[in-house]
Amino acid sequence: MSVLSLIRHGVVVLAASLALGGAALAQTGPLVSTEWLEKNLNDPKVRIVEVSVEPGIYERGHIPGAQNIAWHTDLVETVSRDIAGPEKFQALARKLGVDKDVTVVLYGDNNNWFAAWGAWVFDIYGLRDNVKLLDGGRKKWELEKRPVATNPVPVKASSFTVSEPNKALRARLTDVVATVEKKSEARVLDIRSPDEFSGKIIAPAGFQELALRAGHIPGSVNVPWARAVNQADGTLKSPEELKKLYAEVGIDGSKPVITSCRIGERSSHTWFILSRVLGYQAANYDGSWTEYGNVVGLPISNPAGTIWGGK
Amino acid sequence: MSISDDSGALDYELARRQAGAEPIRLPPLRFIAAAVVAVALAVSIYLVGRHGDPAPQLQLSLILGAAFGFVLQRARFCFFCIWKDWLDRSDPRGLLGILTALAVGLAGYTLIYGAWLPDPSGMRLPPTAHIGPVGPALLLAGLAFGAGMAISGSCISAHLYRLGEGSPTSPFALVGAGFGFVLGFLSWNELYLLTISESPVLWLPRQLGYGGALLAGFAVFGALAWWLLRAGRPSEEGAANKAQLDPVAAIFLRRWPAWLGGLFVGLIGVAAYLRLSPLGVTAELGSRSRQLATQFDWLPARLEGLDSFRGCATLIRDALLTPNGLFIAGLVAAAFAAALAAGEFKPRRPTGGHALRGLVGGALLGWGTVFGLGCTVGTLLSGISAGAVSGWVFALGLIVGMTATLKLGRRLGLLD
Repeated sequence: MSVLSLIRHGVVVLAASLALGGAALAQTGPLVSTEWLEKNLNDPKVRIVEVSVEPGIYERGHIPGAQNIAWHTDLVETVSRDIAGPEKFQALARKLGVDKDVTVVLYGDNNNWFAAWGAWVFDIYGLRDNVKLLDGGRKKWELEKRPVATNPVPVKASSFTVSEPNKALRARLTDVVATVEKKSEARVLDIRSPDEFSGKIIAPAGFQELALRAGHIPGSVNVPWARAVNQADGTLKSPEELKKLYAEVGIDGSKPVITSCRIGERSSHTWFILSRVLGYQAANYDGSWTEYGNVVGLPISNPAGTIWGGK
Repeated sequence: MSISDDSGALDYELARRQAGAEPIRLPPLRFIAAAVVAVALAVSIYLVGRHGDPAPQLQLSLILGAAFGFVLQRARFCFFCIWKDWLDRSDPRGLLGILTALAVGLAGYTLIYGAWLPDPSGMRLPPTAHIGPVGPALLLAGLAFGAGMAISGSCISAHLYRLGEGSPTSPFALVGAGFGFVLGFLSWNELYLLTISESPVLWLPRQLGYGGALLAGFAVFGALAWWLLRAGRPSEEGAANKAQLDPVAAIFLRRWPAWLGGLFVGLIGVAAYLRLSPLGVTAELGSRSRQLATQFDWLPARLEGLDSFRGCATLIRDALLTPNGLFIAGLVAAAFAAALAAGEFKPRRPTGGHALRGLVGGALLGWGTVFGLGCTVGTLLSGISAGAVSGWVFALGLIVGMTATLKLGRRLGLLD
């Protein structure tokens, strides 16, 4: 880049910043802060949507004006174990008043697990840069004693048209098998706990949806999702820290990444970090261990040697 | 041998009549003792608010539990005693109190539903409301629970407040209920596969709309109240009413009129649903029984579908302090304070009869609670308030079970 073009670039960036003003600047990234959100609660071009795991938590108090998504019915096809089809998603987005010119802020309980999953599904259907996560989610909002409301606020439906599903964001079994067979250069990043990864246990206690086998996808690396989060307030660590965290296991953005967990939902939290915060090429494998671990004859890595849940 | 429990239903009618004639007096010692318990409860509420996790939920559970216990004790809101009043004396007041609670609950829930789920016609159910599967197992649960009430002398919520009155039966009934829970869990998988898995979850507003369900509920409550007032015997409240002019005596010494108790029970139910979860008193008891039985390896590794149903969840929780645990603690402590102040704390040494009736009746209560997914509070009150058909079916089974067991027990000379 020549000196002249550098100067030109600088001038353009400066002019753009001045034109857009502070608020818009704050929302150029994939995250918004609780402070920014509270200042922009009444902006008609900001749509806040809660995606929480625990039922009833939204209804008993949510960020004022927020709409609700029940992830296990709204964002999935309940019978075929698939993400919501294009028509279902389009109907949902229209009902929520979501469109490409609306800044959508997703947030939820449990460190934004399912809000991140929502962001992944939104992205697949063409809503990417205008969809943000509230950094710290419900946890930080509550810790900072910011207001919550229980009354519903009606929104005007949008005329959003769904895009063709972006297949690059979603890894299927064949994509994962290709990495195992070294036919693909993608790396699989498994975000489950070390004990699940090593095969000591098949799943954490209390989960009914299991694989028959214990262990992990051969060649995959393990960074539990929670390591990317500041435990105190649920915010994501800084991009530098995150880069370092994943570089420790050889994930540095030079090769495509596939994120995986047990059922593919927590892994979207890490997918969001890699794809949106760090800008790596990343796909989420929603089949995850309950699909891969159950397929007859596929090779697995099982360092702990657990067979049928025992030794 | 008669294993009757003469305290299972304290003779409140007699107490009520006497109360009308006695001059009002607050024995200082009794009142100080009650005040000490009340202050200890207040300190606990403060401490839970400071150190609990999550503090607001735990603290509010304790507060609502205390309010519930106080109201239950003061109004003698005991489903079985109320039913016996009606059967034996045609006294409709207690039943009218229950109808009041249900009407307040239904109106309050409908108000909340309008905000939480504006359109009831879709596939979704209002979050956490106790709307359970309706089938033969639910009816069976009601029958067993009713039989358990007749034998042990109370339902679970009344045993809890009776604990605060020093009842000799209630501790055994609650232990018995623990065993009943385990028996319920042991038979769950069979009954689930046989019938529960195919039982529909029926929610009246989905078919009738909110207005329709509310009107239908009110019509039934109104018709029942009209019939009770016609068929019941007029009560002699004149003397008591005159003596109730002193507000301290009216609140702390005299038995509250049942309709007032019902009004508060309904309001507490609505408050609990709005802020925490539907009112219920068995979640903690159930989940602790399940935890214990799991530790002894008594239960099957998986209880099919149990944890996916709405109702008093018995999911095992590791936390020492749970919302429902604190609710129960508050209930018992406030009932104790209220009973102390009113001179109704009368602990007695339990006899073999107390123990036997408590354990056997309690086991039936526990078993019925597992399949009813709650008790008189969690399924009947919170269910009917929620517009759930399951609440009505459980109530029907309960009335039949209670009446049949009582009549049979009396004929055999085992119950009084």
